[in-house]
Amino acid sequence: MVKLDQINISNDGLTKFFSPIEAAILRALWSEGEMTTSELTGKTNIPLTSVAGTLDRLVKAGYTTRRTETVNGRVRYVYEPVLSEEEAASEITTKILDSLVQAFGPLAVENFSKYSDKK
Amino acid sequence: MNIFGEITCYGQCLRSWAPIVAFIVIISLTSVAASLMLKNPKKRLQTFAFAQVSGLTGVALTYYLMNCSEMLSMYLFFAYVAISTILIFGTLLYYDRLMIKRLEAKPAGSILKWTQEYVDKLTSARVYYFDSAIPKAFAAGRSIFISIGLLEILDDDELKAVLAHESWHIRHNSRMPFLSRLALMAFSSSSEPELEEQADRFAAKVAGSAALFSARNKIDKVFI
Repeated sequence: MVKLDQINISNDGLTKFFSPIEAAILRALWSEGEMTTSELTGKTNIPLTSVAGTLDRLVKAGYTTRRTETVNGRVRYVYEPVLSEEEAASEITTKILDSLVQAFGPLAVENFSKYSDKK
Repeated sequence: MNIFGEITCYGQCLRSWAPIVAFIVIISLTSVAASLMLKNPKKRLQTFAFAQVSGLTGVALTYYLMNCSEMLSMYLFFAYVAISTILIFGTLLYYDRLMIKRLEAKPAGSILKWTQEYVDKLTSARVYYFDSAIPKAFAAGRSIFISIGLLEILDDDELKAVLAHESWHIRHNSRMPFLSRLALMAFSSSSEPELEEQADRFAAKVAGSAALFSARNKIDKVFI
């Protein structure tokens, strides 16, 4: 879920917060920086038919931007991540902490400090 | 008698039926408004058809229930016919312009000059591109729409086949009577298989069947 309105605690890694295809695209963009559509399908090994709609969604949700390039009469998209992996991690963490505080108030904050003491 | 007098008389004549007629009129107006806001063209036309039916029911009901002034019923009826006709024909005439606005489409000639030149040879239509990674092409009114996703995956020959296919639709559309086009827009979700076949035959003749075949293989069939 690009909008982070659904979190699946039991899923692994990024798929807790994103769909598997979204997660694969974001991971690829974080490691490569700029990528064309065909580089993305090559790197993630997911066919274009599944990737195309997800790319539109990621752009709309503001996780990636894309620009159009014309090279030798061929038109192509070049994708770029909007947030770095660190920035995305901090955005997600803030959102989740906010929702915990909203749900449990001071109890949540108390547990945060216990958690950081333990670490 | 002025119009307010007519309305008062109208309310009196309808007596206990007045709230029901008013209710039907409100439903009709709400669904017209809703149909203008809906994004899905099929749903929009269904809502519009519903508005038409409820509007007509309201007019018919007042006509039968009226037992004094019949003039207001006539005014209402003529106003209704005028407004709905303008809306129906307007939607049909400006459908492509609505799509251009909604998709924020831009002339395809500005990124690939030859696409517009190629279509100019086949029919009179404008070619537009829009921002989407999903490979998609369609014709509406006198405009052809292609997504950037389509430009990414097709080579020039395949793109020519797709443009020829859509050009055929435009040639065919412009020969089709107004009402059949309306019926097609309202009642068929995707195009008729028979029309698609004819469009493909034309595309194969103009751009070669090999190009058409490989374009078809690259794009999900529902998209063109």
